Amino acid sequence: MNGVKNSVAGSLESSDVLVTVGPAEGEENKLDVESIVLKQFGARIRSVAEEVVVASGVRGAAVRIQDRGALECTLRARLETALERALKA
Amino acid sequence: MESPLDARETRWRRRLDLAAALPPDCSLLSFTLRMPAPLRLGGGYDRAAGEWFDELRGFLAREGLLVLSYEFRVSADGPEGFCAVRGEGKDVKRRAVAFEEKHPCGALVDVDVTCPDGSAPGRRELGLPPRRCVVCGAEAVPCVRGRAHTAEELRSAVERIAERGGGCRKDANEEAIPRLATGRNVPYTENAGDPDLCDGAKSLDETGPLCAFIGRCAGTAVLFEAAVAPKPGLVTPISNGAHTDMDYFSFLASAAALAPFWERFVRLGVSFAPGARAEERGSAECPPPDASALFPLLREEGVRAERAMFSATGGVNTHKGLIFSLGLLCAASGMLLAEGGDFSPEACAGRGAEIVHGIVERDFADAEKKRPSERTAGERLYIAEGVTGIRGEAERGFPAVVTTALPCLKKLLSNGAALNAALAETLLLLMTAAEDTNILARGGREGERSVRQAARNALALGGMRTEEGVRAVREMEALFSSCRLSPGGAADLLAVTVFLHLMERIVS
Repeated sequence: MNGVKNSVAGSLESSDVLVTVGPAEGEENKLDVESIVLKQFGARIRSVAEEVVVASGVRGAAVRIQDRGALECTLRARLETALERALKA
Repeated sequence: MESPLDARETRWRRRLDLAAALPPDCSLLSFTLRMPAPLRLGGGYDRAAGEWFDELRGFLAREGLLVLSYEFRVSADGPEGFCAVRGEGKDVKRRAVAFEEKHPCGALVDVDVTCPDGSAPGRRELGLPPRRCVVCGAEAVPCVRGRAHTAEELRSAVERIAERGGGCRKDANEEAIPRLATGRNVPYTENAGDPDLCDGAKSLDETGPLCAFIGRCAGTAVLFEAAVAPKPGLVTPISNGAHTDMDYFSFLASAAALAPFWERFVRLGVSFAPGARAEERGSAECPPPDASALFPLLREEGVRAERAMFSATGGVNTHKGLIFSLGLLCAASGMLLAEGGDFSPEACAGRGAEIVHGIVERDFADAEKKRPSERTAGERLYIAEGVTGIRGEAERGFPAVVTTALPCLKKLLSNGAALNAALAETLLLLMTAAEDTNILARGGREGERSVRQAARNALALGGMRTEEGVRAVREMEALFSSCRLSPGGAADLLAVTVFLHLMERIVS
């Protein structure tokens, strides 16, 4: 039992990102990326997100990213916070 | 301490909560600075942000949107403001975009709109162009996300745009000697959204120091009035007059609490001035807004000022009437400042009258609908006897001040009278010249007659300039205290007289 709870971090203000985490079906992590700069930065956002998700050790989490042009440091911080909240006992 | 990211989350939740609490036909605007964190956080733009937020509300009011409430603070993520208006989200967003594009410093602010259902109409869905980068003019988001420009490039671009705001400049020296506006202040120029087409905006006058100066004139007027002695029936440094619930210190505490508000009234006037957009507006197709549309904004600020007063005095009403009169004249002065600066008493009071036009009829029509027990003293007096009080005085352009008290004060001073004596005598004159609802409410017509008669008698004996006159004033003090007569309305008009007198000196 991985115990992934629903959590959010961030906002939909410009230059920020809203990260929503919830339980996924199965043990696989799911990643859904939405961004106003998907064309230019979609691949980069995805790879940063995968890296942070793996580092957190979470399994069976559905991670949704709604990006409003956040800097990479902001994206990392929001992801970490959302995952931390999702895994908090 | 809260981190900027936490502060932004807090703001986001507050934004959704505030929006959700609004009626369906209303929208919430959120205001933040649009600049890199090192500039946004302690970069010296907090004060400017507050001014731009004030100007945003003035802009919305001119656009015909009713501002229901607002708040402003500086959080760990920088300055932020919320403002609830009556209006449908997309329509409000269009006007927010107009502000971002047209205000000289609009490129440095983000004005988002949230509907009560939580949706946030954006530029794209309205078919409006995206925001531009302050450095290169390309679409902003990829530039920001990709860190396309150096910190130094961003800093100098931000500074250049902030300078267009004139008085809003971050380094503006607050104590700089205010100078009279030499031309018209044009806060909203056609091309302000584009840095290179904005030559006209660079000549903006520095209204900032003058707003502060006018605010200080009002603060000074409040203190001067409190300090004058003797003032029969009123609180002075050496007497509580007819009062048992307040003393001189109540007035000082109240004056200190109200001090910051006067400049805010001035700024509301500046940002509202119809002249400020006359050129842009062109001819008849978009007529200047009615000055009276400013009044709801003033009333809101007035409620805030009253709250500050009550909390400073422990719930005692020291300056409620004065907040109305002086707040109104501060806003009127602000409008005149934005239009080029004729601060004559007639111009200030006349503009004040335009702002409150129709107030007697409106307020008392509302009063007639109330149950008698819910009416204020002033409302009861109007219904019973047609007494219009300070509302009527303001709507007529403060004739008791402009045509009676002010000429008297100036004459006394030019004849070499000491300020205290000149003000004490001017107060006597005001007791004879204006309806005072404070007196009427407590002493009725009989009380009013005796106040007028006593004041007239003291003036006839030479006022503060003869021994007999001063003796008569001493007798008035004893009489008013024992009969519990307090000419608070006349005292407010004395402060108004001082204010208009101080304002007149800006011209010379």
